[in-house]
Amino acid sequence: MTGGWKCFMNEALTTAVQELTLPLDEHRVRALSVGQLVRLSGKVTVSIGIPTHQRMAEAALQGQPLPVDIRGGAFLHLSTYVRESDGVCEPIYLNPSTSTRYNAWMPAIVRGLGPRIVGGKGGLNAESVATLQECGCVYLSFLGGGSPLLSRALRGVHSMHWTEYISQFRLLTLDVQSLGPATVAIDAQGQSIYQSVGERAKARMPAILEQMAKARALV
Amino acid sequence: MKLLRKLEIIFAWLQHLRFSMPIDSDTLKSVSALLYERALKKIPDDTRGVLAQAQQRETDATARHTIMMMVESADLAHEQGSLVCSDVGIPTYSLKIGTRVQFSGQVRQAITDGFAELVANIQPPILKMVTHPLTHARSYAGKDIPIVSYDLIDDADYMDIVCSPKAMGTGRWEAAETFVYPTIEQAEKYVLDVILRAGSQPCLPIVVGVGIGGTLDHATKMAKEAMLRPHGQAHPDPMLAGMERRLLEAINQMGLGAMGTSGDCSAMAVNVEYSAGHGFVPIAVSLNCWINRRTAARIHHDGRVEMLYE
Repeated sequence: MTGGWKCFMNEALTTAVQELTLPLDEHRVRALSVGQLVRLSGKVTVSIGIPTHQRMAEAALQGQPLPVDIRGGAFLHLSTYVRESDGVCEPIYLNPSTSTRYNAWMPAIVRGLGPRIVGGKGGLNAESVATLQECGCVYLSFLGGGSPLLSRALRGVHSMHWTEYISQFRLLTLDVQSLGPATVAIDAQGQSIYQSVGERAKARMPAILEQMAKARALV
Repeated sequence: MKLLRKLEIIFAWLQHLRFSMPIDSDTLKSVSALLYERALKKIPDDTRGVLAQAQQRETDATARHTIMMMVESADLAHEQGSLVCSDVGIPTYSLKIGTRVQFSGQVRQAITDGFAELVANIQPPILKMVTHPLTHARSYAGKDIPIVSYDLIDDADYMDIVCSPKAMGTGRWEAAETFVYPTIEQAEKYVLDVILRAGSQPCLPIVVGVGIGGTLDHATKMAKEAMLRPHGQAHPDPMLAGMERRLLEAINQMGLGAMGTSGDCSAMAVNVEYSAGHGFVPIAVSLNCWINRRTAARIHHDGRVEMLYE
């Protein structure tokens, strides 16, 4: 289900992590497959605000530029705390949020604004999977509850826009070094771990229920 | 005889005064803040143990790596005093108060002040999570926040405070439904439906609490309490323990896996609680993500504070 790569995976997984430097070209992104582990370096744009997504999708549909160009880059559902003192902004920590709540806006954002990497946790729906395939973009699954590990990649704030929102809702672009590892969970070939895992779980339900019935009968 | 009886009563009262000081607001305030901070910076020891075991048994390479990172992340948070997850949730406290406990000040306000103190002092600072349900305005405080529930423990001379910050990752997927004379099979199926609907979206492996019976409000409360049960304690009633075993096995057979990207471990535990009720039977499902935030303390009548389930 997650491809043949598992056959040769061993416990030394760290050796299998691919280091990606942003921005990325389409060819590089299309070569990634579900199950692979990657780390990101360069500029990543993050937000977990629904109003932020609405505004981004609107800009994308109207062909308006965003205050920051995410073409070829990464747009991630990572909530971030930025400490601001004496005009200096310092990112303190970050962590993924559930991406499915942005399903409605992700196709417009990916198609119109051209990121090569999106991500967060929990996946995206079928429409988004099709858009990622069409546009040449992958979705990364970051570890929820992984703040101490992921925050080590923070190098600084590149830019911060739409500051009328609370910290984690702003359109924030960060400089990161080796952010991850993250799992390629939806690739640009139309494969989604979430879709296959969800379908497999549903397909397993009749057998699971039958086994439970047998176990109840034994009591 | 009458005089002797009177002296006995006076003596008992003096003993009572000597050993039972009222619990003051400052203690409640600092314990409330402490419990919240600990819940954010350390996962429970039993949960760490379950994850380490799950990692050993896991047959999916991605899931094995993911669980390894979970343990590393939790250990790092504990060492550095950092937050395991940036979604610090909203504060919920459950108070169980011994009937022999006395208070020298406000109780509800002390919990509210404790959370405010945490917000003001915690390092690193926390993000705004408290959200107005209709305007979606975000803050560090709000109507009815912290959410506090109260119970009594007859004859006890201590009180327990349980802190269980509730975040979006699992809070979004909890559910309840009311049935009429459900069979065990229907009850079990409902729990599985809730888990299937959540799918890969919560931070798996989760802890599942189920409350069956009573009234809707009571069932949801039981589900929450069941979710908070320390690991490895099966329900004493064999019928309920059987449900717990079957449900845990069934959820893990779904194959959702750590972070929902496939694997053998989707739930760490399923804990079921029940209550008698009418023929209508509410069933509630409460969930906690892998970091399993739950801390508790017992405040004794002499002011001693004892941490429960580290």
